[in-house]
Amino acid sequence: MKLKLPAPPIPEQLKPAPRRPGERKPSASDTLKEGGTSAVAWVDERTSLSGGARWMMFRKVPKGTNWFYTLGSATMFAFLNQAMTGVFLAMYYDPSPTNAYESTRFITNEAFLGEFVRGMHKWGSTVMVILIFLHMGRTFFFGAYKYPRELNWVVGAILLILTMVMSFTGYLLPFDQRSYWATIVGVNINGTGPLVGPYLSDFLRAGPDFGATTLSRFYAIHMLLIPGLIAALIGAHLYLVAKLGTTAPPWLKAESDPELRKESK
Amino acid sequence: MAKDRRQTKSKYTADRNIPGAFEGETVTRRRFMTGTTHVAGAVAASAFALPALGFALGPVFEKVERRWEAVGAPDDFADDTYIPKVITETPGIGEVGKTTVYVRRHNESIDGPQKDEYDGFIAISTRCMHLGCPVRFVPASERFICPCHGGVYDFQGKVDGGPPVRPLDRFYTRIRDGQVEIGPRFSVNSELRRFSPRDPGQELDGIGQYVYPSRPTIRKLPNT
Amino acid sequence: MNRQEKEEYLREYALLKAQGKPFFPYAVAKDSIMAVIVMAVIITMSIVLGAELGPKADPTTTTYVPRPEWYFFFLFELLRIIKPPELVPLATIGIPTICMILMILVPFVDRSPERRPERRPIATTFGIFVIAAMAYLTYLGANAGSPNEIEREPPAQIAAAGGQELAHWEAGKQVTAQSGCLACHKIGENGNDGPGPPLTEIGARLPKEALARTLINPTAPMPSFQDLPPEKFDALVDFLATLK
Repeated sequence: MKLKLPAPPIPEQLKPAPRRPGERKPSASDTLKEGGTSAVAWVDERTSLSGGARWMMFRKVPKGTNWFYTLGSATMFAFLNQAMTGVFLAMYYDPSPTNAYESTRFITNEAFLGEFVRGMHKWGSTVMVILIFLHMGRTFFFGAYKYPRELNWVVGAILLILTMVMSFTGYLLPFDQRSYWATIVGVNINGTGPLVGPYLSDFLRAGPDFGATTLSRFYAIHMLLIPGLIAALIGAHLYLVAKLGTTAPPWLKAESDPELRKESK
Repeated sequence: MAKDRRQTKSKYTADRNIPGAFEGETVTRRRFMTGTTHVAGAVAASAFALPALGFALGPVFEKVERRWEAVGAPDDFADDTYIPKVITETPGIGEVGKTTVYVRRHNESIDGPQKDEYDGFIAISTRCMHLGCPVRFVPASERFICPCHGGVYDFQGKVDGGPPVRPLDRFYTRIRDGQVEIGPRFSVNSELRRFSPRDPGQELDGIGQYVYPSRPTIRKLPNT
Repeated sequence: MNRQEKEEYLREYALLKAQGKPFFPYAVAKDSIMAVIVMAVIITMSIVLGAELGPKADPTTTTYVPRPEWYFFFLFELLRIIKPPELVPLATIGIPTICMILMILVPFVDRSPERRPERRPIATTFGIFVIAAMAYLTYLGANAGSPNEIEREPPAQIAAAGGQELAHWEAGKQVTAQSGCLACHKIGENGNDGPGPPLTEIGARLPKEALARTLINPTAPMPSFQDLPPEKFDALVDFLATLK
C-alpha cells in the first residue's frame, strides 16, 4: 500500500498551477535555464545594467574593421595577465633588501610552477610593451587620433608612459645585479633634474643612499600606485572607445546607398 | 531667458535660472552651501593626503650619522696604486649597504701639498659620476673605467673622457689608533675642491652647486 | 579642422558605422582569437626562455657590466652617445620629457581632416623617422659591448697555426681587454668611441714598431704602457698588429 503524505496547508494562490493538457513536464535543464534567467532579471531589475551592456556589446563597429583593431584589446589582455600573475607572485615575494633575492630565488627554483608564473609575468611585460607600441603605431598611421578622438589619444599616451614606468619599477624587484644597478641609474637620472632633482631622488630612495625601505617603495609603486592608475585609465579609454566608436580604415569610403543615407539622418 | 540670468538681481535662485533651484532658495544660501562643500571636502582630503605625503617625504630630511671605519694599517697602502677596500655605507641592510672604495696614500708629486688631517690618504668612490654605475680601476692604464655609458677618469679621479659631469666622489680619511679610517663621502668639483655630497649626474662647476642643492641633513665636515 | 569638416566626418562615420556589424560577436571574436595568440606567445616564451635570475645584487662589484632590459636600450644608448658632460641633463631628463610631451600633443599639432597615411606625408615621415630612430638606438644599445672584454675571433692563419701562436694571440687579447684600452678606443663593438681613435683596423695602418713606440711614448692623455712586464707588452703589441 502506498502511503500518501497529506498536502501541506499552503494558501490557494501559492499552489502550483495544474499543467495544461498537452504541456510537457518541465525538464531539469528548463528549470535551470529559467532559474538563470530569473537571477539575471533580478540583478537587472535592481541595477539596470542590461542597457549599458547592450550599448557596449551590440554597438556597430564600422565597415572594414580588421585585425589591426585587435591590438588594443590584446594589450589590455596582456595587462590582465600581468595583474593576475603579479597577484600570485606577491604571495611569495618579500621586498626587503636582505630577503628579496632569496624570495625570488625561491619562486624561481622551488615553488610549484614558480618559474612558469614568473616567466609569464616577465615575458608578459615584454609582450605588453610590444603590443602597446604596435597599437599606438596603428592609431598614428590610421589618423585615428583626430577629431573627435583627441582625448582618447592623450589617455592612451599616458597609459604608454605608465606602462614604461611599470616595466622599469618591475625589473628592480628580483634584486639581482641588473635590478640593483638599474635602480641606481634610474634614481640618478631623476636626480639630474635641476633644483628638484636631488630631492626627487632622495624621495625615491627614501634617503641619501639605497636603504632598507628603497625596495618596498618601488614595490608599492609597482603593485599599488601605477596599476591602480592604469586600471582607471583603461576604463576611461574603453568608455571613450565605446562612446566615439572605433575608426574605420582611413582609405574606406561609405557606399552611397540612398537607403542608408536616409536612415542615418 | 539666458539674458535674464545676468541682468536680474533677484535674491532667489529660481529667478536667476540657476540649475537645481527650488522654491525659496536664496543665492546667498546656495553660495554658503557650495562653500561649505568645497572647504569640508578639501579639509577631509588633505587630512589623509598631507600625512601620507609627509610620511613618504620624511626620509629626505632624516639625519644620517657619520661613521668611520678602519680599513687597515697605513703601511698597507702605496702612493702609486689603489687598493680596493669594502666599507659599509648604510648599516643594517647587509651586503646591500656596502660599497667599494679605492684607497692610496697621498702623493705630493700628484696631489700637491696635503691640505689637512683628512687628506693623508685618498679614498675614491667606485660610483660613476655620470649615473652611478660601478667604475673599476685599471692599473695598466691608470684609469678608472665605467662600463655603462663610457666614462673614463684619470689617476686622481678627474674626468678624462665620456659623459661624467665631475670627478669621482671621495671619502674623508684619518688615522686613529694606528689604523686608516674611512669616513663620510664628499663630492669634488673639477679643481678637486670639497663640496657636500651630491648624487651622480649633478654638476658642481659654475652654477652647478646652486642648481643641485645638497641635502640639508648631510654636509661635508665643517672647515674642510 | 573647421566645423564643416567635423560635420562631414561625423556624417561619413555614421554611414560607415551603419554599414558595419555589431561589436559582439563579430569584433569580439577577432579580439578573443588575438587574446589566445597573445597568451600562447607568453606561455611559449615562459616555457622556452624561462625566468632567469642573475647573480645577487652586489654594490661592491667593480667588474659587473650593467645593462637595462631591452625596451630601455634606446634610452641607454641615448645616454651613451651624448658625450659632453654639460649636455647630460638634456640626455637624462630633457629629451625624454620633450618626447613625452610631443607624444601627448600629437592630436593638437596635427589637426587636418586627412586620415590616409599616404596623404599625410609630414606625419607619416615623422612617424617612420621616430620608429627608425628608436629601432637604431635599440640596435646600438643591444650591441654595446663591455669595455672589459673583446669579442673577436683570431685571424684565419693564426687559428690555423694553433698551439703557441694562438695562445700568444689570446694572451694579447686578454692584456688589451684588461689594460683599459677600450675606455678610449673602440675595437669592433667593444669599447668607447673616443677620445682615442678606433683600433679595429690599427694593424693595417701602423706597423708593429710604430705601435710599440706609441705605447711607450704616447701623446697625452694616453698613459705610457712601458711599465707592463715585457711578455705582456709583446703580447699586447702582437695582438694589436693583427687587427686588420
